[in-house]
Amino acid sequence: MSNYKGTREAFSQALIDLAQEDDRFVFVSADSLKAMRATAFAEKFPDRYIEVGIAEQNAVAVAAGLASCGLIPYVGTYGGFITMRACEQLRTFVAYPGLHVNFIGINGGVFGGEREGVTHQFFEDLGIVRSIPGITVVAPADAHQVYQAVKAISKIDGPVYLRAGSGREHVVYDQETPFELGKIRVLGKYGNHAALFANGFILYRAIEAAKRLNEQGIQVTLVDVHTLKPIDVEGITAILQDCGAAVTVEDHNIIGGLGDAISKVSTEHCPVRIERVGLQDIFPSSGPAEEVADYYGMSVNHIVDAVKKVLQRK
Amino acid sequence: MLKNDNNIDLQSKANQLRLDVVQMVHRAKDGHPGPALSIADIIAVLYFKELKIDANNPQWEDRDRFILSKGHACTVLYAALARSGFFSIDECRGLRSLGSMLQGHPDMNKTPGIDMTSGSLGNGLSLGVGIALAAKYRKKSYTTYVVMGDGEIQEGIVWEAAMCASKYQLNNLILFIDSNGWQSGDSIEQVSGLLPILPKWQAFNWHCQTIDGHDFTQIINAIDQAKKSPQPSVIIADTVKGKGLAYMENDNSWHKRVPDDEQLTIALKTLGGDVNE
Repeated sequence: MSNYKGTREAFSQALIDLAQEDDRFVFVSADSLKAMRATAFAEKFPDRYIEVGIAEQNAVAVAAGLASCGLIPYVGTYGGFITMRACEQLRTFVAYPGLHVNFIGINGGVFGGEREGVTHQFFEDLGIVRSIPGITVVAPADAHQVYQAVKAISKIDGPVYLRAGSGREHVVYDQETPFELGKIRVLGKYGNHAALFANGFILYRAIEAAKRLNEQGIQVTLVDVHTLKPIDVEGITAILQDCGAAVTVEDHNIIGGLGDAISKVSTEHCPVRIERVGLQDIFPSSGPAEEVADYYGMSVNHIVDAVKKVLQRK
Repeated sequence: MLKNDNNIDLQSKANQLRLDVVQMVHRAKDGHPGPALSIADIIAVLYFKELKIDANNPQWEDRDRFILSKGHACTVLYAALARSGFFSIDECRGLRSLGSMLQGHPDMNKTPGIDMTSGSLGNGLSLGVGIALAAKYRKKSYTTYVVMGDGEIQEGIVWEAAMCASKYQLNNLILFIDSNGWQSGDSIEQVSGLLPILPKWQAFNWHCQTIDGHDFTQIINAIDQAKKSPQPSVIIADTVKGKGLAYMENDNSWHKRVPDDEQLTIALKTLGGDVNE
């Protein structure tokens, strides 16, 4: 069984496992080898480790060139540097031609860059990539799911953005839990008072909120929406129809991410009241991760309150 | 297909490409004739002499690759592809039209023979670096050619790519800089602090040559020299924007402008082609 402790290590291990089976897998680094915990990959496959230096735009365009020749590149660095600094290269030279490049954006959300401040807090990345045609967008919750997701995206044909964390993620799933790209996973079904949709490393807070609500007699259906695009319309609609109200929980600006994605499905297929827990369209501050998330409206209490609020409006 | 015929009349070929460009822009009522004409001689050398390509197998794995980074000059590339047999010259009638295989800028998924989508300026060299690196990894002997404008090398990513190509000693990468001295807004000198160009590439440890970009012998010799170099190669080609038509030459208003009927007639007389309307 594979051995890793955080999402970055899980990425690295998955890439090594992939590379041992198929010589098309290469890693493109923008001075991000250590940040991605991918040193072991570079040692095992030195000719498949391409280091371009602190030059994300070049990293992404180089990956496009590699992919056009049949290789399957993984480009990994801080999520914001991929989706903002190199956004055009990702959009025009990878997504538009439909090339298979796998982008691994680490340190996503305020959990990822909390101590560094806004320059390293990336809470728009999912919104940016969601708006680009043809990209698969994945936000797994923990290391085990990242490991499996990295393998899953290796098999699809086209560009992918996968959001990983900082290494401080809570373990949510056991190692054997499968990851099914494009499908929601119902994590807990206490009842159908409301649906609680979450993804990414904040999922553990949604789990805690669901337990707490259950103790108070409010029974929710807790759902992990790890694949934001293509989104599981059928699965989400069924949950919305069953519950009649929903709360979304994300470590992202409430604009562009999970809350918007669920709202869109609801609007088009099953209109219900929705409350969105996440960063409320403001720039956060530096601080310890848990404190930052609490301060900016993403605490377990905030989730509990959001469920109660949506039930009052149901 | 390797072109071993040393008797190819490159001047006639280049004239044909120039005429195709003018006709395409005239017909579409849109396009960039000036920047296309300045590279017509380089494109003629590449497509009718140098490139190992096969019009019957555009995705041939061992083919040389070509990236027109200054994608707004795509009409001359489309003409070269058509005249090389990748598609019928009739397709050029659809330039910039809805549903046409010939988009406003090169599109690798719509046009046979286009190796890389391009047009957003500055990106072609990085894309070429990726392709050249793939050749090294796959132990392929193909050469990757990139053509950039002198204006577009103002983009920062160009120098990220320059650094990377040098680090990886990409001797299978040849960059032409179409040094016509103009960009969309004005002269290079007026718009930017780019000049001088040559020492910048020297400082990035590239093999550097400066040539007359309208002299076929110099273009061919420069490619030969580039292929012998252990470093990535840049060929700074001094050119005239709008080259070949007196009314366009060095008149930057022809960066993006449509020739009228009279100007088309002059082009036909000057370049000696057939009316292909």
